[in-house]
Amino acid sequence: MPQEKIYEDLSLVRRRANTVFWVISALIFLALSYYWKIQIVDHKKFSGLAEANRTRQRALAAPRGLIRDRNDVILADNRASFKVSLVRENIKDMEASLAAVGRLLEVDVETLRKRVEQFKDLQQFEPIVIEDGLSSVDVAPIESRRLEFPELVVDAEPQRFYPKGTLAAHVLGYLQERTPEEIRAEPDRAARAGEMVGKTGVEREYDDILKGEDGKIIEVVDSLGRVRSEKARQNPVQGGDVVLTLDYRLQAMAEEALEGREGVVVALDPQSGEILALASFPTFDPNRFITRFTPTEWLQLTNDPLSPLENRAIRGLYAPGSIFKLVMSLGGLGFGYVTPDTSVYCSGSTEIYGAVRHCWFVPGHGPMNLADAIKNSCNIYFYTLGRRMGIDMIAMAAGRLGLGKKTGVDLAGEKEGLVPSSEWKTRTLKTPWYLGETISVAIGQGQLQVTPLQIAALTALVANLGTPARPHLFKSAPAGAKAGPAADDGAGAAAEPPFKPATFKSVIAGMWKSVNDGGTGRGAFVEGMDICGKTGSTQVVSRESAERLSRAGREVKTHSWFSGFAPRDHPRIVVTVLVEYGGGGGATAAPVAARMFELFNKEIQGK
Amino acid sequence: MMFDRRLIQEVDWVLLGLVLLHSLIGVFFIYSSSHFLAGDYYVRQLIWIGASLIALVLVLVIDYKFFVSLAVYFYGLTVALLAATLVFARFVAGTKSWITLGLMQFQPSEMAKIVMILVFARLFAEYKNAYLTAQHTLFALLLSGAPLILIILQPDLGTAMTFLAVIGGALILAGLKKKAILLFLLAALVLGIGGWSVGLKDYQKKRLTTLINPLHDPKGSGYQVIQSKIALGAGGLSGKGFMKGSQSQLRFLPARHTDFIFSVIGEEAGFLGVFAVIVLYFFMLARMFLSVSKARDRAGVYIIFTASLLIAFQFLVNILMIIGLFPVVGITLPFISYGGSSLLTSYIACGLVLNVKMRRFANV
Repeated sequence: MPQEKIYEDLSLVRRRANTVFWVISALIFLALSYYWKIQIVDHKKFSGLAEANRTRQRALAAPRGLIRDRNDVILADNRASFKVSLVRENIKDMEASLAAVGRLLEVDVETLRKRVEQFKDLQQFEPIVIEDGLSSVDVAPIESRRLEFPELVVDAEPQRFYPKGTLAAHVLGYLQERTPEEIRAEPDRAARAGEMVGKTGVEREYDDILKGEDGKIIEVVDSLGRVRSEKARQNPVQGGDVVLTLDYRLQAMAEEALEGREGVVVALDPQSGEILALASFPTFDPNRFITRFTPTEWLQLTNDPLSPLENRAIRGLYAPGSIFKLVMSLGGLGFGYVTPDTSVYCSGSTEIYGAVRHCWFVPGHGPMNLADAIKNSCNIYFYTLGRRMGIDMIAMAAGRLGLGKKTGVDLAGEKEGLVPSSEWKTRTLKTPWYLGETISVAIGQGQLQVTPLQIAALTALVANLGTPARPHLFKSAPAGAKAGPAADDGAGAAAEPPFKPATFKSVIAGMWKSVNDGGTGRGAFVEGMDICGKTGSTQVVSRESAERLSRAGREVKTHSWFSGFAPRDHPRIVVTVLVEYGGGGGATAAPVAARMFELFNKEIQGK
Repeated sequence: MMFDRRLIQEVDWVLLGLVLLHSLIGVFFIYSSSHFLAGDYYVRQLIWIGASLIALVLVLVIDYKFFVSLAVYFYGLTVALLAATLVFARFVAGTKSWITLGLMQFQPSEMAKIVMILVFARLFAEYKNAYLTAQHTLFALLLSGAPLILIILQPDLGTAMTFLAVIGGALILAGLKKKAILLFLLAALVLGIGGWSVGLKDYQKKRLTTLINPLHDPKGSGYQVIQSKIALGAGGLSGKGFMKGSQSQLRFLPARHTDFIFSVIGEEAGFLGVFAVIVLYFFMLARMFLSVSKARDRAGVYIIFTASLLIAFQFLVNILMIIGLFPVVGITLPFISYGGSSLLTSYIACGLVLNVKMRRFANV
C-alpha cells in the first residue's frame, strides 16, 4: 500500500536523528576548543618540545692544554681517540639493547648495566660513555651498524696522553671521569657527561686553565636518531698550556737515582722556590686512568700497601732524624743558648734526666763545637743543647723555620706534619710533657713529623740565609689564560727572616764540613760544587723495640735522609732525598743527592 | 530501473563535492607525510578514490529498498565471513582482521558496518511504535551482537566501538527508553570493568592507562599521543607550512598518513587548517544527517541516520584520539586517512545516503 508509506509520520525519528546530530556537533566543537588550547595557548611549549625532538645537542670535548717542563718539553699531551656512548632516550627495551650492545662491543652485559645504573639520575638524553680510548679501526664496525643501534653515539674525543709515561706522575696527577655526585654538586657548571677532570696534581690544581671550553654541535635528527643536518656548531677551545718549573732531566734523574727504592727526591731553586724535580716512588703511569674503565688496575693501585698513588713528597710524614739538628742549631744560636764556639764533650754517652743516652758513634767524638757537631751529627752535643733549650723553645725554632705547617706548594693534599710542644701535648694527649721526650726531639725523633718537601723548603731557607721562598711548580701560562695565577715568584711565606744571616752562616759552615770535610754527608760530595748538606737516619721504631729486634737477629733499617744545597755562595739548587728503610743517611741518601748535584752541575747550570 | 535524468538531478552534488574535497585534502597530506616512503601512497589513494567513486555510483544506481530487501542474506554472509576470518586469517599487528582473496585483501569488519546499516533499516522499517519494547530491544541486540562479538574476538577494538555506536544510535532512533539507556550504560560499565580484567589484551590496557597519563609509558603507547600533541602544538595558529612539519617529515609522528593524518594537518596547516577541516566536516555531516527530512520512508531515515552516524562517530573519535582525549583505538579519519577499506566503506555509506535522498519522490 504505497499511499500509506507516503503519508507515514516520520517526524519522531527525524527529530531524534537531528538531536543526535547536534549532540555530535557540539562534541566536535568542544574538541575544537581543546585544539585551540593545544595549538594556540600551549604553542610555545610544544614548539620547544618539537625542537627538542628534532635537534640533538652534542658536546664537543675541548682538548686539554698541554703541560710542559721549563724547557718546553711536553709532559702531558693529547691524542685522538673515540668513545662510544649510550643514549637511553633512544632505547625501547633496555635489556635487549644492553645485550645487543654488549655483543657488539664485546663488553660484559653486567658491566654495562652497572655503568648505566651508575648514571641513572642523568637526563635520558644525556649520553653515557660505555667505551672509550678506541681507535678508528675499533669504531668502524660500530659506525657501519648505526641503523641497528640508534642508541649508540660514537664521538671523537681528544684523549690525554703522557708521552713520558711515569715521569713526574705525582706532579702531573691524573684524570678521572666526573662522578654523578660531582655533576649533581655543581648544577650550574655546564658539565658534560663523561667529562674527564683533573683529580690530583697539576691536572687538578690548574684544571681551570687546562680544561678549555667545550664546544657544542646542534644536529637535526629524525625519529631513529639519524643525523639529517647540522644546525649550529660551536668549536671547542683548547685549554691553556701550563709551563712547570720542573726540569725533565733532573726529574728523570731523581726517579732513576732512587733505583726502585721507596722514597722521595726533591730538587728546587732556593732563590725562587721553583721545584726542579719532585719524585716519589713507587709511582704509577697516569696513562692508565685515561680510559674510564680500569677497575682492576685501579683497585690494585689503591689497595697496594706501598700506596703508589700517594705523593710522598707532600703527604709522607717522617721523623726528620738528624736533619732536625739544623733546626736545633739555628734555634740554639738564634736564641742565644750556644755560640758557634761553645764546646760540648762527647764521650759516646751521657746521662740526662737519669737515663743514659748514647751517641751514634760509640767511641765518642771528643770536644765538639757547633760546626763539628753538625759535620759529625753528634748526638751528645744536641742532647745537651736540647736540655738547655727545652721543648717549647725548640718548637718555636721549628715553627719559625716552617715546620708544622704547609709549605704552600701548589699541589692539593699537602700535609702539615707535627712539631710537638708541651702545650700541644697537654691539649691533645691530656698528659704533661716529660723532660726525657725533649731529648728525643732534639735529635729529630719523638713525635716530630715532617714531609720531605718541608725539609727541602727548610734547606732552601738556610741556603738563602733566612729569606723564604715558597716551593711551587707553576711557571707560566699563556697570556689570557683564565684564572691563571700570576707568574709565581715564590715570595711571601714570611716577610721577616726567622734568624740573623750570621746565624745561618754558622750552620752552613757545619753543613759544608759535613760534605766536604769527611763528615756524615761526604757521600754527597761532588768535585768543585761546594755542596753543603746534612744527613739523617730516622728510627722507624722506638729504641726499645729496635734493640729487641736486633737481639732477635732482625735487621733494623732506618729511613735515610739527606738535604743540602750548592754552591755555598749564591746557592742555585737544593736537593732533598728520603729513602725509606734506606739505612744510614750518609750511605744511602747522600749518594742519590750527589747524582742530582752532578747532573745539575754538568748539564744545566749556566745553560 | 536505470538512472534517469530526473534521478540525476536529485543527486546531492554539494554533499558529493564535500566528500571529494575531503578526499583531496587527504591526498595532499598523505603526500606530505609519506613522500619519503617507498610505495607512492598518494597515488594509491587516488586510485582508491576512483574505485570508491565507482562503487558509490553502483550503489546509487540500485534503489536502496532493493538492498534493504537483501539485508538478511548480507547479514548471513557477513557473519560467515567474520567467522571465517577468525579461523583462517593470519595475525597482522596483533589482530586477525584481514582476509586475502587472490590479490585482494579486505576487512570483513568494514563490510559488516555497511551491512548493519541495511539490517537496522530492515529491522525497523515497519516499526512504528514511539518507544522500543524490551522484546524488540533484545532482538536487535541479539542480531547485532553476533557480528560484534566476532569483531571483538579479532580483536579490533576500534571497529567494535564504531559498531557499538551504530547499534546504540539505531536503538535510540527506534525509541530506546531513558531507563534502558541508563541500564545499558550501567551494563557497559560492569562489562567494561570485567572486560578490563579478563578480556583486554595488554596493549589495549596500556592504551587506556596512557590516555589518563601519556607520560606513563612515553616509549610505548603514550609515545603516539605525546608526539601527536607535540605536532599539533608546534603547528600553532597557521602551521609550519606544507611538507615542513618536523614531527611528520622526520617521522616522529606515528601512523602519519593513516590514523594520525589530522596531526599532520594540525602541524603543517596549524589551527586554521584544523578549524577549516572541522567546519567543512561539520557542513558535510549536517548535509548527511539533515537529509533525514528528505527520506520518503522509515527505512530511508534509518539508512541516512546510521550511515551518517558511522562517519560522524569515527571522525569524532579520531579527532579526540589524536589529541589525547580518547584512547588510541585505531579509528581512521573517514575520507581523509590513507586506506582503501576505510575509504570504500565511507563512500558506500555516503552512497546510501545519496541513494535515499535522490529517491524521495520516486513512487514505486
